[in-house]
Amino acid sequence: MGEIRNFRSGNQDEPPPHGAMPRRLAAIIVGDIASYSRLMQADEEGTHARVKRIERDLIQPSIIEHHGSLVKTTGDGFIAIFDSPVEAVRCSIVIQQNLVARNASVPKHSRLEYRIGVNLGDVIVEPDDIYGDGVNIATRIEGIAEPGQVYISGAIYEQIKHKIVCGYESLGDRKVKNITDPVRVYRVLPDADAVGRTRSRRENALIFFLAVTLLVIAAGALWYLLAQPQGRGGQQVAAPAVSPAPSPVPQALPREAATQAPQPSPSLASAPSSPAPAPSPSSTPLREPEMIAIRGGSFAMGSNDDPTERPVHQVTIKPFSIGKYPVTVQEWNECAAAKACSFTATGKDDAPVSNVSWTDAQQYAAFLSQATKKQYRLPSEAEWEYAARGGTQTKYWWGDKLQPGMAGCKDCGDLAAEQPAKVGRFKPNPFGLYDMGGGVDQWVEDCWHKNYQGAPVDGSAWTGGDCSSHVLRSGSWKNDSRYVRPSNRDGYDTNVRYPTHGFRVALSP
Amino acid sequence: MKIIRCAALAAALALLPIVLLTSAAYSQGKTAPKDAKLYFITPQDGQKVRGGFWVRFGLRNMGVTHAGDDYQNAGHHHLLVDVNDPIDIKEPIPQDKSHLHFGAGQTETFLELSPGTHTLQLVLGDAKHYPFDPPVVSDKITVRVRQPGSVRRR
Repeated sequence: MGEIRNFRSGNQDEPPPHGAMPRRLAAIIVGDIASYSRLMQADEEGTHARVKRIERDLIQPSIIEHHGSLVKTTGDGFIAIFDSPVEAVRCSIVIQQNLVARNASVPKHSRLEYRIGVNLGDVIVEPDDIYGDGVNIATRIEGIAEPGQVYISGAIYEQIKHKIVCGYESLGDRKVKNITDPVRVYRVLPDADAVGRTRSRRENALIFFLAVTLLVIAAGALWYLLAQPQGRGGQQVAAPAVSPAPSPVPQALPREAATQAPQPSPSLASAPSSPAPAPSPSSTPLREPEMIAIRGGSFAMGSNDDPTERPVHQVTIKPFSIGKYPVTVQEWNECAAAKACSFTATGKDDAPVSNVSWTDAQQYAAFLSQATKKQYRLPSEAEWEYAARGGTQTKYWWGDKLQPGMAGCKDCGDLAAEQPAKVGRFKPNPFGLYDMGGGVDQWVEDCWHKNYQGAPVDGSAWTGGDCSSHVLRSGSWKNDSRYVRPSNRDGYDTNVRYPTHGFRVALSP
Repeated sequence: MKIIRCAALAAALALLPIVLLTSAAYSQGKTAPKDAKLYFITPQDGQKVRGGFWVRFGLRNMGVTHAGDDYQNAGHHHLLVDVNDPIDIKEPIPQDKSHLHFGAGQTETFLELSPGTHTLQLVLGDAKHYPFDPPVVSDKITVRVRQPGSVRRR
C-alpha cells in the first residue's frame, strides 16, 4: 500500500482508511416555515397538504433548476446544497418571490412564509443528510431571518456581491447559538429600489453610456433605411428576402430566377420556390477532423516507470478510428458558433484547442455526432495508448532515447516560442498520428483510477465509481520528457479548465 | 454625410466601454487581502506519517471557490510536493505529478508518497490558476514517510 501513489482527492474508488467521510465545500440553504406550530394547530391536514404542495411545485423544481440538490425535507423545512453560492442565493430569491405571489390571495394569518438562511462551508455529505459547522451556521442564520426574507453569511456575501445585482443590508456580526465566533450576516434585498441604491456610480455611468450608444446606433440604422431610395438596382437580390410579403408574387419569381441565371437547366425549376439567400448555414459543410483508421490488435498496456502505470497488462483493442491531430481551434469554433460548445477559443486556426475541461470535450463530441450523424466520442484510455504506441513497446514510440523533432515538450528540443504551437509540427508515429505525446494534454473517456488494478482488458473505457476526475494523456509543452511517454497518465478534475488541456476524437467503425 | 458622422460617433461610443471592460477583465496578478493566511491543518512540519495520509488545507481571510470562478478574495488550492522551483506569478501554476490541483474547491486530499523525506507547500491560485500578487503560499513543511515495514499491522 505504501508504494502506490495517489495524488488525487475526491476519488472514491476505494474507501479511504479510518472510515473518514468525503468532505466538500458547498453552499447550504436552510429553509423553515415561520409559525409552523400555530398553522398546524389551526389546520393540521390542510397545512400539511399545502406544505407538501409548495415543496413539490416550487422548492424542488427551483433547486433542480439552479443545479442544487435537496438533501432532505423536515416537517416544516428543507436543506439543500449547491456547488455555486450564486445559484444558491438565486434559488432562495426565486422561492421567496414565488411564495409572495402564492400568499397574495391567502388571508394573513394562514400564510405560509419561509425564513431562509444561506451559508458557505465545508460539509460532510451523506446520502440523506449533511453534517458540519457550515450546516449549523446556516440553520442559525435561518433562525434569525425575518419570515419571507433571505439572510446570508459573510462567506456567501463575499462570493456573490459582484455577481447578483441585489441590495445587501449588513446586519453586522451576530453571535449565534453554540458557535464560538460571531457570524457576519447580510439581508438580501431583491427589490428594484434596492438595486438602484446599491449600484455604483461607475456602473450607472456605463449603463447610461451603453444605452446612449444603442439608441444612436438604432437611430442611425432607421435613418439609413428610410433615407434609401426605394427599389434601386443594387437592392434587387436582398429585397425579396427582407420583405417578401408586399412584393407581388409574379414579380418575385423572375427576380429569383435571374440570380440563378448561370444554370438555366429545367431541373432547377423548383429552386426559385426557396426564398433563402445563398449562404445558408447548411450550405457550408462542417469541418470534420481528419480521422485515421486503426486496425485492432493486442498490446501490453502500462509500464513500470511510474506507480500509476502498473501493473502492465495485456489489452485487446477492436478496430476504431482516431483523430490524426488534436481538435484544432478552427474545428472547435464551429461548435462554438453553433452554440453547442460553451466558449469561443482564441489562438491560430491550426493550433490545438486548449483550456477545455473533460465536459467541454464531451460537448464537442456530441456536437460533431449530431452534425455528422456518426458516433464521435473520446477515445478510451486503452485505445489512446494503443494508438500512441503505434505498434511499438519502447519507452517512446520512436525508441528508448529522447530525440529532437519528435514531440513538443519542455526538454524535448525544437519547442516553438509561441504555445500551443500548430498541430502536426513534429513527426507522425508509425500509425500516421501526430502529437501523440507532448503538445497538449488530451482527455480520454475514462474516469481516473490511481493504477490499473481491476482495469478492463477489452479496450473499453473504465468508467464507474465516483469519477470526479478523468484521465489525461500525452503530457503538454509545459511538461518534461517523462510525460511524453505513451504510457504516461494523469488525472484532473472533470469540470475544471486548464490552459494545456485539449483532446482528440475517436470513432467506432 | 450625416449618416457617416452618425455611424462614426456610434462606433466610437460602442468601442469605448468594450475597451474599458476588456482591460479590466484580463489583468493577471490579482491582489489578495494582506492578512490572508494559507497553512496546513495537518500534517505538521517534521511529522512522521504513513505512506498514505490525509493533508488538510487551512485558509484564513479568503474564500475557497472553484477554478474558473472569478470572485474577489477567493481562489483554489494547489499542493506542491517536492517542488524546488520558485513560484512564478506570471505563469499559471504548472499541472503535473508534483503540482496537484484542487479546482473543484477541495480542502483536503489523501496523499500517498514513497518512504523518505518529502516537502509540501500550498499555493492559492486564482480563477485561471495564476498565483496571486504577492503569492498566497503556506510555509513549506517537511514530512517523513515511514518504511512500509515499520507500519504496525492492524
